[in-house]
Amino acid sequence: MNNLWDHTGAKGAGYAQPAPMVPESELRLATPLLRASAQRWPRLSEPEMVRHYTNLSRRNFGIDTGFYPLGSCTMKHNPRVNEVIAQMPGICDVHPHQPEHHLQGLLSIFHEMQHMLAVCAGMDEVTLQPVAGAQGEFTAVRCIQEYFRERGESQRTRIVVPDSAHGTNPASAAMAGFEIVEVPSTEDGRIDLEALAAVLDDTIAAMMITNPNTLGLFETDIAAAAELVHGVGGQMYYDGANFNAIIGRTSPGLMGFDAVHYNLHKTFSQPHGGGGPGSGPIGVKAHLAPFLPGPVVDVRAAEDGERTVEAGRWFHWREPEHSIGKVQQWHGNAGAVLRCWAFYRRYGRDLRTMSEHAVLNANYLRHAIHREAKDAGVDHLFVDGARTDVAKHEFTLSMQPAKEALGVTAMDIAKGLLDMGYMAPTVYFPLVVPECLMIEPTETEAKDTLDQFAKDFVAVVGTDPETLHAAPVTTPVRRVDEVYAARNLCLRVPEEDL
Amino acid sequence: MVDQLPNLGREAEMLSAMGYTSMDDLFSDVPVDVRMEEDLPLRGPQTEEEIIADARRLLGANVPLGSMASFIGAGLYRNHVPAAVFQLVTRGEFLTAYTPYQAEVSQGMLQAMWEFQGLISELVGLPVANLSVYDGSSAAAEAITCAVRVHGRKATQKGVVYVSELVPPDRWSVIHNYTQGGGIELRKLRHLEDGTLDPASVAEAAGACAVYVEQPNPLGLLDASLTGVKDTVGEHTAFIVGVNPVSLGLYEAPGHYGADIVVGEGQPFGSPMTAGGPIYGIFACSKAYMRQMPGRIVGRTIDEDEQTAYCLTLSTREQHIRRHRATSNLCTNETLIALMGAMHMSLLGPEGVRSLAVRNAAALHAVVRALDAVDGVEHVHPDGHHFNEIAVRLPGPASACIEALEDHGVLPGFDLGRWSPDRANQLLVTATDQTRPEDIERLATALQAWCAEVVA
Repeated sequence: MNNLWDHTGAKGAGYAQPAPMVPESELRLATPLLRASAQRWPRLSEPEMVRHYTNLSRRNFGIDTGFYPLGSCTMKHNPRVNEVIAQMPGICDVHPHQPEHHLQGLLSIFHEMQHMLAVCAGMDEVTLQPVAGAQGEFTAVRCIQEYFRERGESQRTRIVVPDSAHGTNPASAAMAGFEIVEVPSTEDGRIDLEALAAVLDDTIAAMMITNPNTLGLFETDIAAAAELVHGVGGQMYYDGANFNAIIGRTSPGLMGFDAVHYNLHKTFSQPHGGGGPGSGPIGVKAHLAPFLPGPVVDVRAAEDGERTVEAGRWFHWREPEHSIGKVQQWHGNAGAVLRCWAFYRRYGRDLRTMSEHAVLNANYLRHAIHREAKDAGVDHLFVDGARTDVAKHEFTLSMQPAKEALGVTAMDIAKGLLDMGYMAPTVYFPLVVPECLMIEPTETEAKDTLDQFAKDFVAVVGTDPETLHAAPVTTPVRRVDEVYAARNLCLRVPEEDL
Repeated sequence: MVDQLPNLGREAEMLSAMGYTSMDDLFSDVPVDVRMEEDLPLRGPQTEEEIIADARRLLGANVPLGSMASFIGAGLYRNHVPAAVFQLVTRGEFLTAYTPYQAEVSQGMLQAMWEFQGLISELVGLPVANLSVYDGSSAAAEAITCAVRVHGRKATQKGVVYVSELVPPDRWSVIHNYTQGGGIELRKLRHLEDGTLDPASVAEAAGACAVYVEQPNPLGLLDASLTGVKDTVGEHTAFIVGVNPVSLGLYEAPGHYGADIVVGEGQPFGSPMTAGGPIYGIFACSKAYMRQMPGRIVGRTIDEDEQTAYCLTLSTREQHIRRHRATSNLCTNETLIALMGAMHMSLLGPEGVRSLAVRNAAALHAVVRALDAVDGVEHVHPDGHHFNEIAVRLPGPASACIEALEDHGVLPGFDLGRWSPDRANQLLVTATDQTRPEDIERLATALQAWCAEVVA
């Protein structure tokens, strides 16, 4: 379809605006810096612009348009009331530097969210400042780093990550200046305690791990791993990407973790927005709390004359004593925190039921796929990515048998699913499973959808290889040439099209 | 809750299909010693109507700037986001998608982001832009680490980066957190009394990995001397400029006066202030820095039928492939907010953005004119040219002024004492396209009264 620059209409004044308060001729402008030539932007009238973006949206797949089993990303339904609330002037038209008495409502929401997140994860204190999961990881690693510097243990320069970890874990730790020690997983995809013990010494600052892990398995030895790491004086860091599986059933605190990040865009339904915005608060145990980025929200007894939103309680900012400083200039993605507050209010303590249904749906779908595959006689073409009785909120399948027998890859299956009207699962992750498909249905998919997906998945697996290699054929474009993109870099509208 | 979970009431049926009898069976792998046995000590669930009521009450207790005569900015700016932007951005196809890993069903967002890259590239005068980072501060920090990766070997001042001393402490702190692990030494790039860069300090920066400076600077000053910085610092030092993108409707694109990397807070295009987030950071660079950039980038390509298509490219820089050797840990970013920016920019067009910049300049001009008539208020930089904001010296503490003027429904600006104790008597007064003439009158009147009281 056309790109913005293909619109050649409207040569007028652009978006109509009120006249300037003072005529341009009277302004004292910085003459030597005036722009010599206007940027070559397209010119669209509102009708053209609205149609352009509406048509673009029709070439995009979202949760609203179909089942989105993208493993590790927790693509659950985004309640619409959250969007309505997020456009109220009490959030949109608010500046973070306004005095506390202008922001009591927002501060009370922040306080409630800090409390709820701490309770769910078994942590003592929470900051809402990091704006994405990766920034949360980085922030927590920075807190751990300063904690050790404060204690005179600067020799702790290494961080352990399992080979099945999300790429952001090692990337975040490396950004903070740590050396990465990768430990292998066992054959069944869980922590290898022996391998872990072998790398531990007093140069280890922390272990970063997610539980359930990226194979969707609960790390049954997690408490033992925490004991080993604590035994050499290291810290345990919980990657909250998979938190949706466990709320109310267990917590990182119970497992022995010292710090955790939350992906509010996963667990608490901040819409993923085609790649963001997210929100990545972190929670920590008391010993790390003085290092959190500031400010955090605290509460004290209200004084006479203070206009409270909650009787007798005054919310205020507090700077942690040894704060690492800031990772975002303001108070994080307040708008995302607000949406997730509305989401939390919808569940309250029944967040436990939410997690149970996420796990129920994942296990149900896994069983249904295996059952359908057996009935259709294609069960020899894939295997579980990891042996287990129960999965948590997601599971992996390996298409390695199909690749060996028919030359059909995980990517072929993914593209075949696109033709059936689904978003593809996560492919080729975790790296420890060959030809991996990682499937996460979330709690908001109906049984009927899961049943149909199981049938359709098996139908795709049973499709002849030529058709699959050629898939997709029903999508807005056919298989996209990523190699061509990298070899013929075209990152913006070419000069000749302006 | 009951309206959110489609399988409520079907648990037994689904469990029995798997041969289980209870939900506990699905959590049998959680060891007993780490199980949570009690209910979460949290409130009960609410309905949509109850949530709206509470949201109205709580958010209604906040004071929106539109309800006052407000002159606070300091990095975030009141703006008007066109109605079409909100209408379009809540379309589920955009709102509820994720990172376009499957390009064939993500062409809409991919194309929109490729167009965004083109809009930013043209605006700042550099050939390459990514599809945004978290905010202006992380953009500045990532630009610095990017520059160090590019120039680390040839720079004569190894690992050294000069950062404008006027950069606000909060942004400085973000930069520090992002750079301290890479062995990067931050040194202060000094400014003269009149607010412009100190040429001696710029000369000292020659041979460092990078210099970072903002235009307009955090006190709203435009500095023509920036056009000579690249010549002074030389080929092996990245010249990084942080911008307010609206100002570029009127003022020269830094890419046209030697900037190697341009970053900035995208917020004025497309996004309300939203208490500081979500907003989005702009990141653009010349080709020499392209392969060391952070974040996602969209490229135009072809599909199997040789039709135009778009996909993420240069991915080998990224964490999901390169892991601890990635150029950044960036994964989830601010795509939807950048999309709002693209929509706003495409409605404005070149003429519209110029008009917008002129309106911002005119509003500040009107404020300055009004302040000039107030006895006791002095310009901190009387000869300077400003955009969006100006620093003024008061006869007493800015914090006291802000407190006193609240009774008049006026928020006169930002207390610069929060950035630097020696500026405790200085106020940063911001005007934007949303500033109203009656606001300016109220500001002048209230400030006049307060100054008279303080002086007396």
